[in-house]
Amino acid sequence: MNTAMVRLLLVPVAILAGVLSLAWWLALSAPVVERDVSLDVEPPYFESVPRCSGEMNDPVAASLRNQFAVNGMVRSQQLFNCPRAFDGFTVRYVGEIIGELIPRRGGVWVQVNDDAYALTDGPLLGHRNFSGFNTGVAVWLPDGTHEQLQTVGRHQVRGDIIAITGTFLRADPNDGGGLTIRASTVEVMADGVLLDDPLNRRQLTVAVLLFSGAAVALTAGQLARRRR
Amino acid sequence: MRMVLRPGPDDLKLIGFYLGKVLLGLGLIMLIPAVVALFAGETNAAITFVIGASLCLIVAGLSEATLATSRPLTWAHGMVIVAVAWLAGAVFAAVPFILSGRFDTPLAAVFEAMSALTTTGMSVIHDLDHTPLSFDFYRHLLQFAGGQGIVIVVLSLFVSGGAHAGTLYAAEARDERILPNFIRTARFIFAVAATFLVIGTTALFGALMLAGFTSSRALYHAINLFFASFDTGGFSPMQASMAYYHSFGVELIVMVLMIAGTLSFGLHFALWRGDPKNLLRHLETRTLTATTSVFFVALTAGLVLAGTYDSASAVFRKGFFTLISAVSSSGHQVNVGVTYLTDWGVLAPAALVGAMAIGGMASSTAGGIKAIRIGIVFKTLTHDIRRILLPESALTVTTYTTGRRQVLRDATARSAMTVLLLFIVTYLLGTVAALAYGRYDLTEALFEAVSVGSNIGVSIGVVDPLMPQGLMAVYTVMMWLGRLEFVAVFALIGYVIAIARGRTHA
Repeated sequence: MNTAMVRLLLVPVAILAGVLSLAWWLALSAPVVERDVSLDVEPPYFESVPRCSGEMNDPVAASLRNQFAVNGMVRSQQLFNCPRAFDGFTVRYVGEIIGELIPRRGGVWVQVNDDAYALTDGPLLGHRNFSGFNTGVAVWLPDGTHEQLQTVGRHQVRGDIIAITGTFLRADPNDGGGLTIRASTVEVMADGVLLDDPLNRRQLTVAVLLFSGAAVALTAGQLARRRR
Repeated sequence: MRMVLRPGPDDLKLIGFYLGKVLLGLGLIMLIPAVVALFAGETNAAITFVIGASLCLIVAGLSEATLATSRPLTWAHGMVIVAVAWLAGAVFAAVPFILSGRFDTPLAAVFEAMSALTTTGMSVIHDLDHTPLSFDFYRHLLQFAGGQGIVIVVLSLFVSGGAHAGTLYAAEARDERILPNFIRTARFIFAVAATFLVIGTTALFGALMLAGFTSSRALYHAINLFFASFDTGGFSPMQASMAYYHSFGVELIVMVLMIAGTLSFGLHFALWRGDPKNLLRHLETRTLTATTSVFFVALTAGLVLAGTYDSASAVFRKGFFTLISAVSSSGHQVNVGVTYLTDWGVLAPAALVGAMAIGGMASSTAGGIKAIRIGIVFKTLTHDIRRILLPESALTVTTYTTGRRQVLRDATARSAMTVLLLFIVTYLLGTVAALAYGRYDLTEALFEAVSVGSNIGVSIGVVDPLMPQGLMAVYTVMMWLGRLEFVAVFALIGYVIAIARGRTHA
């Protein structure tokens, strides 16, 4: 293979590597915002819950059911790991209301997340504490329990943190078989918080420079095309 | 042994020139969410899109200025352009993802972009539920561009005349030419999508309003859900996916859109012309109906045996919806991924794996082995059995209908078998790659490998922002291979070998 061909082949590789490197450098230079939105939440009843088999008479699920106490604190991941262990139990659950309150006859549906973005680090804005996916449970709040809720979590907003007592249903017949908690009591533990998203000046500067460069390159391309 | 000609600088210039056109299209696509971001007051998000778009447009402008050549486009060029375009497209499309600060490595951002463009719908984004609206819109818009076939979409907009674009059309795993001219075919595909965009978004908007959403939020969810459903992508504006909406109406409309997305554009054309009989006679329709019915019986039996649901409505809304999501290769979820493992028993997830492996129809936005190949393999088997049972002197002819009646030929059978085998090998390699990490069991590893390799997107929980980077890289390649159905990627590998070892041009 001659060197000219090697050079030609290396050009696209260099372009792709350069694009990724530039973007990564800019991402790391995003402004960091100091804020403390963490909450003290009581630990779950079980320190950890193993994954169950999903079969009808799973012994792990049966054992957990025998040990669990009514009103015990649960985490969403524990409910997912062994839904049959908690099915029909009254549980306590704490999390951030997210997205929107979806009104229906007799109450509202709301997604309640109990991940690190909800309870410890706050939404992924102004920090780089990566904790994975959002995790949470759909909660039915009957009329008389949701009127106090003010703020739902979205971009730049950490929603109200609520503590719920309610019945966990592995396959809620009134939600087409969905995994839900039907709340009976709701307590607001922390009000929602609006978060700053300061202008990323370095990215703005680079954007202006690159946009100008794009205008020049496209003009050059058009001129070359007309000459052909 | 036949000698392979080494491509020259002019060949590479030609490939670069067309890649520039694709990046021009991608850059313009990125400017749409930039406008959305400005309207939504999301300044930092707008900046990320401008940076991404500018990088694309710079390369596009420079390629137009320096790489133009009068050489004609050959099949080899077309294959290489498409294979590289999907890789380079994913890298450039990943720029706003990286800049958003929601991905912990550049590879994760490339994975997300590849997943969007290939309409796989697996996501590794951190904290999706606090994402800017424009950013979410961008993820879904990429699925739309990818589902329509980004290379052919761009060329239908920026290239006049269609003769030389045919190779690109076929290389993008769209081998059904509906109209005599490829550009007209691409524009017909676009017209179908535009029609469904209006109807589907309106229907979803109405259903979401009835479900209790405000008009602005209903519009936001409706547009994103349309892109993710019709283009069989499977992304969702919320981490809870379809379970977020608690609405049977929304689920029904999404199911209709997923099925529409999995129909081949040839069948859309037949329906467009008022020829529904074509749909009923078509080998793919029959194969897909038969396999989906079998898998539905198995899935229902599995859910009943495991005692997962105790009502028919739950089996329909959770089981049948997930099956349609798998068959159509959309990947919308109405269940938390890990509960396929912890609440569905054994048979129901196995039925899903089978459905995901087959996928939808060829020349649609769906992924997987494709129903046409399964149908042809089945026809080949029955043909061979008949040949054995009949006297040696008997002439056996097997036919099938795909728009018109065709005789089953050896070359067609071999081609279908080859792709089927390649998919199976890919599933197995993906499974082994996951098992090698020692933290996933066989069910998880196989389920996820089939879902990724078929560009489905239903996840059992292996794909996660915190998953091993090596496995993420393997899955990224699998999505690329699955979307292009191997041929274009093999052509690219052959091209590189030819550059290294082939004979120079005369």
